[in-house]
Amino acid sequence: MTTMAYAPARRRSRSGPFLVRHRGALVALTVFLVLLAVVLGLSGFSYFQFGFIASGGASLALAAIGQTFVILSGGFDLSAGAVISLVNVVLGSGMGSGAGSQIAFGLLAIVIGAAVGAFNGFFVAFVRMQPIVVTLSTMFIVQGTTLLISDKPGGTIAPGFVGFFTGDAIPSVLPAPVLVIAAAAAVWLAVKATRFGVGLYAVGSDTDAAFASGVRVTWVTFRAYVLAGAFYGLSGAFVSAQTGSSDPLVGGSMLLQIFAAVALGGTVFGGGRGGAIGSIIGAYTLMIAVNILLALNVPAFYSSVAEGVLLILAVLGGSTGRRAPLAQYLRLGALRLKARRENSLASAHRVSFASPVLPPRAPAEATADRQAPGWLTRNRANLRYTLPAYAGLAVVLVVTQVLKGHALTDPAFVNSLLVLASFLTVLALGQGAVILTGGLDLSLPWMISLVGIVVAGFVSGSDPAALWALPLGLLLGAALGAVNGLGIVLLGLPPIVMTLAMNGILQGAALVYSGGTPSGFASPGMRRVMTGHLLGATPVVWGLIGFVLAASLLLGGTIFGRRVYAVGNSPLAARFSGVGVGGTLIGVYALSGFCSALVGIMLASFNGQASLGMGDEYLLPSIAAVVVGGSLITGGRGRYPGMFGGVLLLTALSTLLAGTMLPHAVRDIIFGLVVLGAVLVLRD
Amino acid sequence: MMFQLPSIRRAALFTALTMLPVAAHAQEKAKVFLSMSYIGNDWQAEATNMIKAMAASPAIAAKIALQVQVAGPSAQRQIQQINAMVQEGAKAIIVYPISPTALNRVVKNACSRGVMVIAYDAQITEPCAYDVHIDQEAAGRAGGEWLANKLGGKGNIVVITGVPGTSVDTKRTEAAKAVFTRHPGIKIVAEAPGMWSQAVARTELSKILATQSWDKIDGLWMQVGCFTADEMQLEAGIPEEKLKPCAGEGSNGGRIQMLPKGTPVDGANGAYRPMGAPRFSYASVPYSGAYALKLVLDKLGGKDVPHDTVLPLPQVTNATVKLCKTGTWKEMSEGCNVFEPSAVTNPGWFASIYSAQTPEVGLNAALKAEPEKLD
Repeated sequence: MTTMAYAPARRRSRSGPFLVRHRGALVALTVFLVLLAVVLGLSGFSYFQFGFIASGGASLALAAIGQTFVILSGGFDLSAGAVISLVNVVLGSGMGSGAGSQIAFGLLAIVIGAAVGAFNGFFVAFVRMQPIVVTLSTMFIVQGTTLLISDKPGGTIAPGFVGFFTGDAIPSVLPAPVLVIAAAAAVWLAVKATRFGVGLYAVGSDTDAAFASGVRVTWVTFRAYVLAGAFYGLSGAFVSAQTGSSDPLVGGSMLLQIFAAVALGGTVFGGGRGGAIGSIIGAYTLMIAVNILLALNVPAFYSSVAEGVLLILAVLGGSTGRRAPLAQYLRLGALRLKARRENSLASAHRVSFASPVLPPRAPAEATADRQAPGWLTRNRANLRYTLPAYAGLAVVLVVTQVLKGHALTDPAFVNSLLVLASFLTVLALGQGAVILTGGLDLSLPWMISLVGIVVAGFVSGSDPAALWALPLGLLLGAALGAVNGLGIVLLGLPPIVMTLAMNGILQGAALVYSGGTPSGFASPGMRRVMTGHLLGATPVVWGLIGFVLAASLLLGGTIFGRRVYAVGNSPLAARFSGVGVGGTLIGVYALSGFCSALVGIMLASFNGQASLGMGDEYLLPSIAAVVVGGSLITGGRGRYPGMFGGVLLLTALSTLLAGTMLPHAVRDIIFGLVVLGAVLVLRD
Repeated sequence: MMFQLPSIRRAALFTALTMLPVAAHAQEKAKVFLSMSYIGNDWQAEATNMIKAMAASPAIAAKIALQVQVAGPSAQRQIQQINAMVQEGAKAIIVYPISPTALNRVVKNACSRGVMVIAYDAQITEPCAYDVHIDQEAAGRAGGEWLANKLGGKGNIVVITGVPGTSVDTKRTEAAKAVFTRHPGIKIVAEAPGMWSQAVARTELSKILATQSWDKIDGLWMQVGCFTADEMQLEAGIPEEKLKPCAGEGSNGGRIQMLPKGTPVDGANGAYRPMGAPRFSYASVPYSGAYALKLVLDKLGGKDVPHDTVLPLPQVTNATVKLCKTGTWKEMSEGCNVFEPSAVTNPGWFASIYSAQTPEVGLNAALKAEPEKLD
């Protein structure tokens, strides 16, 4: 998310500051207009068409406006989709047919959203917890609450309410959704012009500088979350009107789309740059893609591929020209070549520096009474971020012991726990390394499924085939991961966009490769590793121990590891210190691809065969484990042992909950509360 | 290169000549769209294959031009998609609805423009829509009753449900639980959402087994996952004769396990082999979309089609399980209901593909989207 930050200082553009500042939004607008022209050109323009395009993207646009506030402040809000569902079921189950009730529930929608936002904002701004952890917990708590209110689709929304949001503002001239979005945009512009709006950009650009200039950072951050929540609430109200009913799952699937809309609109993850107008355009672009796929008659298995490519192209429009990373790399390469020809490379200058004169070493006796800092002192910071996960784990294990009568005293329990944790343990390294550089890998789900399917197909139950198919699968994962890295480094794509698009492309690849029916199965040897016995444990447990040691060493004790932290802390500083930022990033994404591939193989071995969509369950937990383990989502901080603690905590917690007879909804709420509680001590 | 040019030109001419009448013909064909939700799982992909095969069968292909589109997992996008299909001049839209309620308004709008909207597997509550589905409550109840009887009304059971928050899951689970409450001896000792996936079922069962042991479990009621549950018991060292009774999905792997031990099958491996596992196998039928397409043809031809078509619930027990040799529709019509592992290598694949109403589709339709060859 900070990968673009190392672009050299911008030169003044001839086209004026307006174009420069709004470049992202303008590119998004252009892309949207081109797509719209294609759709209208193919199907003709009509008021009906106008009305439905306006209404189709409105709920996504409203939610994206909300998310923009949070992202501008440098945060990240995972609770958006859950809030939309909650508002939808509240409205669907409570709204009466009277005008008073409709107005009251319309306001209630915004109040509910703002209240959830205030909850998020309190923990992020005042308790100074990481946004991603807070909003992830909130997501689970809100999800559970939603299911408690209504465990299945149903409900009705009064016709008047429906008409207000989705009918005609002026019949045959202006559809109501256009008015709703225009009003929302006006609110955004008004807010942006206030002191709060200026503060928002200031906080997102540089929190310390903002604080030093007298911006009330905590209040600005808090208000960003409250406003965001209010917009999610409004989006929930719109969804209710649009569907005329309620469905507890309606919002969850919007989450990734919301992020994609914000990224498409030119808002930079990490804060400080962008705006909600771009997000609105981004949202409509994503929705109109549906029409494009239909108009072009893209075959079903290829539709996610087409969408991925569309997403990349739409953002790519913003990164062309002289300042584009690719152009820069080419220019730098040409300069380097020229320098080599003229023999003027830095390395060619043989300058001998005089050895600096060091002050004479203090005699040993002098330092002896000054106590050398102990291990605890030196690692205090690391411990502070790593310990909460382990403390949480200890609590969960004690509760398990009390409730079930056996936990740590039972080797079978420990073994099961470690086997279940093995998948996330591997994913945490890849996702963790990506997060340390300030990125995010969303391509994990279908990287897992695709590699699992390909490897199981090659192996088809034969151990000898596994000997070559497994390395091939790992290589495939690393290579595809490197493609992610290349897109991010060379094309300057935001990591979220690149990896989300890659996820779609890989999904299409898996469907086409398997023809919808994955064939092949794991070999007996592969199965034995995940389900057999060796020295009193499942073999993978021994592998797990080795993996944790190797991963800790890789991130904590190698040059690659140092470079990862350097890039995460400041790509610019890293570059000036001689770190190959591009190469490091490509390496990090290749590592993540490798880890996903390994998990694909492990899952295929665990289940006996690979199935489509088997990686879907691992995206959010992989991010959660990393941040619960003390990593900073904006990069540069976090240790692998901490991430492993996060994995163990999440696995132990879900194991404990699976062993109870609590309803699913209550389990969600407890899960959210425990994660929040465990990390409560983890403050910046 | 010089030599190749004429042949290319000839090929182009040939294509142009043959395409012309087809193109002219296509205009007479009714435009029908398929709006799918998420296709990234085995059931959906199999159902798509069967619809494509049905569309390619001569009777349908002569009258209908089917275009398949995927909306993805979000209801917003399916709403947009259905609207766009109406704009494109659809005569009928076949839908796998993401939500039974969220599409109501857009469906109503489509109906009012004379477009037939027909949902398969899941339902749409808007009355103008047509629905093709199994009775989900009956499915939950049948499995529950079989399990309760098998256990003699007494024992500890594990319940693995579907996707929480969906109508299908709620109906099945509530119906089964209603049965279990009638048998006070039956005690649910653990419950987890299995998301209708063998892979998730394994993870959830593993979590449950971390704190429970197999000897304290007498039976299982699962929406998907009996194959995996049997496999896990074998891994835990439970002999084939002592496998716990399991009421669950119609996976091919599960049905192969139901065959008497020693039944010769082609391509058996690991737990994917006959072992006489005590099972009740019901299914949400993957042919429902293909059947919906046939109903569209009927409706467009002027026939009356009922708004609510409840498909018979396939129920296979150890007494009725029977291996198919080739998997043609004709062979299935004689009562076979499970396929050779060599033909269906994925044990999680859904085997309930037979319907008396759809002689156009057999095993090749489900696997390769190819219609049955006419004799």
